Amino acid sequence: MEKRGRGGRVPAHQPAPQSSATPRRDRRPSMFEKESYAQILRERLRDSLHEVQYVEPPLDESTADLGKEWKSALARLKFANTYRMEPPKKFQAHSVETKVQRILKDNLKDVKYDDKVFSRLSLELADCIMSVVKEFGYQRYKFIVKVLLIQKTGQAINVASQWIWDVAWDSWVAAKHETETYVALALVFALYCE
Amino acid sequence: MEEYQRHCDEVGFNAEEAHNIVKECIDGVLGGEDYDHTNINQWTASIVEQSLAHLVKLGKAYKYIVTCAVVQRSAYGFHTANSCFWDTTSDGTCTIRWENRTMNCIVNVFAIAIVL
Repeated sequence: MEKRGRGGRVPAHQPAPQSSATPRRDRRPSMFEKESYAQILRERLRDSLHEVQYVEPPLDESTADLGKEWKSALARLKFANTYRMEPPKKFQAHSVETKVQRILKDNLKDVKYDDKVFSRLSLELADCIMSVVKEFGYQRYKFIVKVLLIQKTGQAINVASQWIWDVAWDSWVAAKHETETYVALALVFALYCE
Repeated sequence: MEEYQRHCDEVGFNAEEAHNIVKECIDGVLGGEDYDHTNINQWTASIVEQSLAHLVKLGKAYKYIVTCAVVQRSAYGFHTANSCFWDTTSDGTCTIRWENRTMNCIVNVFAIAIVL
């Protein structure tokens, strides 16, 4: 029994059989390799009954941006190119203004100032004006509606607005309704969005 | 080659940054002043102008609308409501209330993303 037959004896003992008999078994992927980080994460979270407290982020941030990339890819996929550089119908301020003025007048006719009523009324008016403006059907426009209700008690109020926008397509509308006890001011801004 | 990522639009409007900027502007203009009807026009105009200038200096691809209401402080009722039709992921708003002994000031900033 010479120990020289080591080569032949090895399969019998099988200390590390796979390394010689079968192809070398793949090492478990390292967490620091980009493409395997996501896989490890999924593996860990799939059947686990306990929570993963902290997973070391990869050395480079590319896989951390997976969520953002997905979202922007989705946004890119959604829109086919229409080759349109301008809105189909430009925002007509005067027609919107008459409509908004009529809404204010109809809703606030004979309404006296009342604290509780007005806090709800301001929100209702804003929603109402918003739905009416949307009904006009201006495509590719974003809207902002602002409603101010100020009680008249002899104080002074100053309202100023300034903006940076596309002068060609963006516009605004202001409507005022004044009574003995309060003033109602409605502002509508329309902004073109490509 | 990666495409240029619009990082500001992915994250959305940074309301806190805008809040700090506008608060500084208001403090600079109205800080320590009492209500004065001769100057009030100038003050509201300069608050709005300075806020807008500082917001634009951030260099983000946004359209801005800044609204400022300054009211003399007394016993009065004031209600305001906003309704916005926009993309909630990229657009945002920020409201700053400021007051001192004689005045109340409300500044509203709307930021709408420009899609480049």
